[in-house]
Amino acid sequence: MSASKYDLHAIAERLNNAARRDFLKTTAAGAGVMAAGGLIDLAAPREAKAFAYEPYPTDDQLTTVVTSCAHNCGSRHVLVAHKKGDVIVRLSTDDGRYQKDGHFGKDTFEEPQLRACLRGRSYRQRLYSAERLLYPMGRVGKRGEGKFKRISWDEALGYVSKKMIEIKDKYGPTALLDQSYAGASYGVLHKSDQIEGLLGRFMGMFGCRTNSWSVPSYQGTTTSSRWTFGTIEDGNEDDAFAHSKLIIMWGWNPAYTFHGGNTFYYMRLAKQNGCKFVLVDPQYTDSGAAYDTWWIPIKPNTDAAMMAGMAHYIFTNNLHDQQFIDKFCMGMDAGTMPEWAGSTPNGKENFKDYILGKYDGVAKTPEWASEICGVPAADIKKLAHMYATTKPAALKASWAPGRNAYGEQYNRMAAALQAMTGNIGILGGCAEGVGKAWHAEAVAYPYDQYANTWFASIKSDRWAHCVLNYPNVKREEIGLWPRQDATDGQIPNIKGIFWQGSDWFNQLTNINKEIEAIKKLELVVCMDSTITPSGLWADVLLPVSTHFERHDVALPWYKGHYYIHRPKVIEPLGESKTDFQIFTELAWRIGGPTFGRAYNPKASREYFHYNDAVDEAYLREWWEHKVMAHQGVTMPWEEFKRLGVYKFKLDKPHVAFREQIENGKRFDTPSGKIEILSTELAYIGDWTKTKYGSHIPSIPKWIEPWESLNHPKTKEYPFHLITPHPRHRTHSIFANCSWLQETFEQECTINASDAKKLGVATGDTVEVWNERGKVVVPVYVTERVMPGVVVIHEGAWMQLDENGVDRGGNPDFLTLDEPSPAGSFAYNTVLVNIRKTELEHNPGWDKTSISRSQVFRRDN
Amino acid sequence: MAEEKDLAKIKEAVKRHKKEVYVPVVPEMQLGFIHNNVDCIGCRACEIACKDKNGLAPGPRFRNVMYVEGGAFPDVYAYKVNMSCNHCAEPACLPTCPTGAIFKRKKDGIVDIDSTLCIGCRRCEAACPYGAPQFIPERNIVSKCNMCVDEIDAGRKPYCVQACMMRVLDIGDIDKLRAGTWVTKAMASHEKPVGAVKNMANPELTKPSIVFVAHSKAVVK
Repeated sequence: MSASKYDLHAIAERLNNAARRDFLKTTAAGAGVMAAGGLIDLAAPREAKAFAYEPYPTDDQLTTVVTSCAHNCGSRHVLVAHKKGDVIVRLSTDDGRYQKDGHFGKDTFEEPQLRACLRGRSYRQRLYSAERLLYPMGRVGKRGEGKFKRISWDEALGYVSKKMIEIKDKYGPTALLDQSYAGASYGVLHKSDQIEGLLGRFMGMFGCRTNSWSVPSYQGTTTSSRWTFGTIEDGNEDDAFAHSKLIIMWGWNPAYTFHGGNTFYYMRLAKQNGCKFVLVDPQYTDSGAAYDTWWIPIKPNTDAAMMAGMAHYIFTNNLHDQQFIDKFCMGMDAGTMPEWAGSTPNGKENFKDYILGKYDGVAKTPEWASEICGVPAADIKKLAHMYATTKPAALKASWAPGRNAYGEQYNRMAAALQAMTGNIGILGGCAEGVGKAWHAEAVAYPYDQYANTWFASIKSDRWAHCVLNYPNVKREEIGLWPRQDATDGQIPNIKGIFWQGSDWFNQLTNINKEIEAIKKLELVVCMDSTITPSGLWADVLLPVSTHFERHDVALPWYKGHYYIHRPKVIEPLGESKTDFQIFTELAWRIGGPTFGRAYNPKASREYFHYNDAVDEAYLREWWEHKVMAHQGVTMPWEEFKRLGVYKFKLDKPHVAFREQIENGKRFDTPSGKIEILSTELAYIGDWTKTKYGSHIPSIPKWIEPWESLNHPKTKEYPFHLITPHPRHRTHSIFANCSWLQETFEQECTINASDAKKLGVATGDTVEVWNERGKVVVPVYVTERVMPGVVVIHEGAWMQLDENGVDRGGNPDFLTLDEPSPAGSFAYNTVLVNIRKTELEHNPGWDKTSISRSQVFRRDN
Repeated sequence: MAEEKDLAKIKEAVKRHKKEVYVPVVPEMQLGFIHNNVDCIGCRACEIACKDKNGLAPGPRFRNVMYVEGGAFPDVYAYKVNMSCNHCAEPACLPTCPTGAIFKRKKDGIVDIDSTLCIGCRRCEAACPYGAPQFIPERNIVSKCNMCVDEIDAGRKPYCVQACMMRVLDIGDIDKLRAGTWVTKAMASHEKPVGAVKNMANPELTKPSIVFVAHSKAVVK
């Protein structure tokens, strides 16, 4: 309807440029045949009319609808859609008007505006992009060749349901791999999620599901926080940062990645209050610059060693808070060891004696640490002194340094420092970690015993290994989660993959290995609103409506105390359906009314065509029975819908573990204490029977990673590659938006001294390779990164040339699919070599649409 | 694609323009920008909000966040200088326009281009020391930041300012901004605004309506 009433081509043309026009026409006509490289067969061109922008339409000519952004990001901000008819002509953001007692310009400390970032502001380009998936498509070429034809919903779902039944019958209940992720569908109702989303429940009910348990972004810190604190709720709400006197940003770049609505802004207020900032990072990031930090460059993957050196300084100078340790910690020193520890297979050591070198004869002095991490011992001591003597001080141990070989040890070591200085449970301190803080009511979709039913569960980055080596796979190689029944230890025979809100094929490690593995599968289904790099490897593409085209409520993941209403802003584009509609219809097709009604109890089969009333019923029920019943909210659902945003006012800043420290409540660990010595790990004897697969010390320890700048392999591959999150994409989302491509470039950041040796300058193109793959990217030469370290942001859309070289510059062709015992992905444990190249870098599929970024960098 | 132009109207405008000797408009009150070089995280949400509001294709950018960095490892520094059209007191673009399409508003000193009169000669682009005028090839016109006049007239602030996540970009009465008496979140109480930073043309040329909270390395001596 939208396409006929308002000219979608015109909008898209206006937002992109004229050169893409023909491509749009073909996809919109449904006759598009797209090759992996983005080459298009052109259909007959059709004239498109430009949309008038001048004079600007005034408020009374436009309809204003409050909604939010929605992509795989920890934050959520307000987007206000201004539409003409059924077309969004521009977006604005929170200006203080859309809340209770709001008015234009209202922006207080307690209820700050929720202003969208550059990614959120570019949503129209994503919504109306050339890569928007509008119709169900079926593969016609070889898998991965990228050739599809338009098919009907009936054909698409008929095929998928038939294949599902066939595969389950033939290969059993572990044959379908759930690779859902938080990609495009994060809301209380339409939720894509690795563990408990709509897909997981659907496959669980169907009775065929292998789950992927390790979370790519932060499994190191999740496991660490569960061991140490018994929970992942170790976070403060972001306004608490404004009370800190010292903030140590360990691998943390809040200028790029967000949690909560205003973390970066509250930190600015902390700075105005006199807070000092330190950045421990191989890069001098924009956060480093904006918060005027003391930058301590550190070799990647050596963070736990530096922290051990700090702990040594603090212990030996008696700067630790012994009273706090005695009262709240277990295993920090000999005095806090439990009696049972001596008789366990793995729990005999305490942390302080490890640091002092009692067990291995190596004292973990700042000088010892300096040899490993490259930070001068004097700086390690200075930072340790600052942290131990400034109260309150926040050591924010970010996720990135945990995406390493043995990344969990870094997070546990950080928790030990936070505990020994008594900075846990106090305002201005910090126990993060994961950073989950205020508890939101996050579930409006049906939730029952099937929410996370699985028949096998593996480490997420081991699926390719499992597929390629089946059945000669040991359970510890794939991190098989134990089961309490006879199927314990059975290796899943994976024959199909579902992607819902997930571009994992582009985003997991060692893509070349994935490419080998996917060829062995019998069914690959991709559900997305965009044709993604993963989608090109699918058999069936199912078009999913974006959050502008369905009803939902938005919330941030882990912190930020607010809800944003997400009405259906426009009608679904093309033939797109919500993922909830698709699963409901599949359930009806596979199991008739029994499965259909069980999966979606409020709906009949008509839901596939008419979903508004049912969605409204789920959301209203969630608001009235959860939000109003549990969270002290008195605002009626109708008023929330009218306003758009609900911002909670907390009577005091939310600080993790305040209750434990102030009122003596038990921690959720087996001992009720902060477990520097983990009870769970202490008792483990046979590691192969655990999901970890191999030995983990029961206290935080420095463990040499399998690749680093201290490794002999540097003779062949002298550079350590890190792959942080970019600012102009959310992982791979938005990679096709030319506005964002214009602001930042996919590039390889390298120190000026290294560049000199290699004979490259900014503007040159380099190839970066190791034994796993090769990518081609432009180079950015700077003093802001440590020598020996190179940076390529993750999430670029892969574009393989005929020799298997990725011209798009996706660093996951170089990463290793070898997770840490605790499940941390090794995204930042990569050695590479670099040379100048004549090969061309392709910044996007559609080369004509790219204006190469003008980054406007200047060196003084 | 270029719009149809009313040739007669343009000819008349040229005739009228030729008769005039350019005297800069002295506005009743001059609006201007303030940008905090240090606290800006350089996220470019302002740039994208602007492109979205103005419906710009890749290429033209009305607002630009410039990244400045220097020093030698590990003693480095970095800051941002964020500029669009500076709505100068003596705009260099304005007198170069052969059709008189560029005008300065009496009410608030905003400099804007009447796109119906613009013939795309790009002289203003060459004249501006700040790179503000942007050529729009599809329409064969030059366009630029007009401080979202429609928003200003509706009693709001421009899209870039409203987009700023760090609240380091703002607008106000430039005289009061310079005097430090304008209430704004862009500046902390102990900070003082300056009229120029390194990495920009000498403000004496056109008297731009912008002030900065300058990074220590950006201070002009």
